[in-house]
Amino acid sequence: MPALQLDNVRKVYRTGDQQVVALNDVSLTVQNDEMMILVGPSGSGKTTLLTVAGALLRPTSGGVRVGGADITDLDDKRLAGFRREEVGFVFQSVNLVPFLTAKENLLVVRQFGGSRIDTQARKRADQLLDELGLGGRGSSLPSQLSGGEKQRVAIGRALMNDPSLVLVDEPTSALDSALGQQVMDLLRREIKGRGVSAIVVTHDDRVLDYGDRTVRIVDGALETGAQ
Amino acid sequence: MSIAMKELIRRPGRFVSVGGALTMLVVLLVVLGGFLDGLELNSTGPYRAHEGRLLVFSDGSELLIQRSKVDAGQAEQLTSSDGVAAVGALNQIESTAGAGQGEIVDIVLFGYDLPTDAIPSPPVDGGVIVDEALADRNDVAVGDTLLIGAESEPVAVAGIVGDLSQGSPTVWLSTQRWREIVQSGNPAALPPEGTDQALVVEPSAGTEISDLAASLGGLDGIAVVTPDEAIKALPVVQQQSSTFEGIIGVTFVVTLLVVALFFTLITLERVHLYAVLKALGARTGNLMAGISAQAVGVSLVALILGLGLSLAFVGLLPADLPVRLVPARLLQTAVGVVMSALLGSLFTLRRVLHVDPAEAIG
Repeated sequence: MPALQLDNVRKVYRTGDQQVVALNDVSLTVQNDEMMILVGPSGSGKTTLLTVAGALLRPTSGGVRVGGADITDLDDKRLAGFRREEVGFVFQSVNLVPFLTAKENLLVVRQFGGSRIDTQARKRADQLLDELGLGGRGSSLPSQLSGGEKQRVAIGRALMNDPSLVLVDEPTSALDSALGQQVMDLLRREIKGRGVSAIVVTHDDRVLDYGDRTVRIVDGALETGAQ
Repeated sequence: MSIAMKELIRRPGRFVSVGGALTMLVVLLVVLGGFLDGLELNSTGPYRAHEGRLLVFSDGSELLIQRSKVDAGQAEQLTSSDGVAAVGALNQIESTAGAGQGEIVDIVLFGYDLPTDAIPSPPVDGGVIVDEALADRNDVAVGDTLLIGAESEPVAVAGIVGDLSQGSPTVWLSTQRWREIVQSGNPAALPPEGTDQALVVEPSAGTEISDLAASLGGLDGIAVVTPDEAIKALPVVQQQSSTFEGIIGVTFVVTLLVVALFFTLITLERVHLYAVLKALGARTGNLMAGISAQAVGVSLVALILGLGLSLAFVGLLPADLPVRLVPARLLQTAVGVVMSALLGSLFTLRRVLHVDPAEAIG
C-alpha cells in the first residue's frame, strides 16, 4: 500500500466573502521508500499540500490516506496521535525548542500522549545523533549549534519515532550552497536507508536531483502527469 | 522531567517577575493571617483555657458571658445530669490592676471554680493566678501583690499561666474572692447571690464532649456549647474574621489574576512554539499540563521565599503586636496560593486550545 494517497483533495480558505482555493482537486500517490520533491512558485499550494498530507489541516473535500489509514475525518486528538506516530516534520525554520538540548529535542516527541522516555528512547536518540554526525553535541542547546547542525537535529527529531512519512519544508533555504548539499545528502541517506517515504518542498533547483521524482504544483493543482 | 519544568529551571529569568509578585503576595497573606490569628488568640484566651469542657450561658445571651445569667437551679440540674463530673461558676468583669511602681493596667478579672489543663485550681487563700501577658509586660512575679479594681484590693500572685488574654491580660481567682472584689469596687455589676454569668461543665471520664453537649442542650433556659462555638459567637472575633478573611480572599484573587495575566502573556509569546509542539503530536492537555506545572512550580518557590521573608518581617515587629504564625493558617495559605496559581494558569486554556498546529509550517 502507498505511503500517502490524496484523492481529489480540495482545500478552500474563506476570507470574508472571498474564497481562496489552495488545493484544487489534487490526487497524488507517494509510494513506500519514495522521496518526492514538490516544487512550485510562491502561493501555489505547496505548503497547504504539506499540511494536509501531514494531518495538520483537514481537506475541505477529498480523501487522505497515510500508510493505508484514512485520516480524513479524524478528530483533533486522534490527528495529534497520528502525527506523533506516523509523520515526521522538518520545518523550514528548524523550530527546535530553544531551551532543550539537541538530544532532548529528539526525545521531545516521546513526551506526548502518555509515552515515556525510557532507556531505549535515549539509546535511539544517541544513535540518531551519531548517524547525523552530532555524537558530541547531544548536550548542546540550539543556540550553541550552527545552522547545519540545527538542521541535522531537526532531521533526527523527524526520524525519532520511526514515521512512515517524513515531510520536509524548504530544508536548504537558510543554508549556504555547500551546507545545503551536505544536509540533502544526509537527508536522502537517512530516508532511503530507513525505507521511509518523504515529500520535500523546495524552491531550490539544486535539491531536485535528490528526489526519486519531482512534482510541480501551480495554482493549487498538480501539473498533468504528476500523480 | 517535563519540557515545562526544564524551561523553568533553565530560564528562571523569564519567571522572575511573576515569582517576585507571588512572593510579595505570600508575605502579605502570611502577615495578614498572622494578624488575624494573633487578634483572635488575643481575644479568646479564657475560652481556649476551657478546651475539653462545655460552657453554659443563659438563653438569649447570644453566648456572651457579660449578658448571661445562670441560676443555682440550672447549675443543680446540670450537676445531676448523666455524663457530668462537675459544674463550676465562671464570672468576669473588666477591671484594673496596680502592678510594679504604681503602674495601673487594664485587666479582665475572672472568678472560677474548676481547674482546666490551662489554669490550676483557684487559690484558696484569696490569691490570684495571672497570665503571661500581664506577667511579662509588667514584670509581675509569683509572690508580688497586685491592687485590683477601684478599691485597690490587694491580692497576692500565686501562679502564672500562659497567655490567656481577652483583649487585656487576665487575672483569675476563686468565685468567692471575685464576688468580694466586685462587691467592693463595682457592686452594681455583681450577679445576685446564687446566680453566675456562666457555668463550666466538666465531663465525666469516657464521655464524648459532643454527646454531652447534645444531651444537655435539651435543658430549658440555657445554651450549652463548646469553647470553639462560644469563640465564634464573639462579635469581636466575627468582625475581625470577616474583615481579615475578606482582605485575604481578595489577595488570593489578586494572586490568581497575577498568574493568569503572566501566563496569558507568556502563552502569546509561545504561540509558534506551541504550534510546533502540536505539529509534533502534543495535545492541548499536554501543553496545559506544562503551563500549570510551571505555575505550581513558581508558586512553590514563591511560598518558600515568601515564608522566609514573612518570618524575618514578623521577627522585626514589636513584641506587643498581636501577630501569631499558626501552622494551620500557614498550610491554608500555602494550599490557597498553589490553588490560585493552578486556577490562574487555566486562564490560558482558550488561547492554547486555538493554537493551530498548521502555523508551524509556512
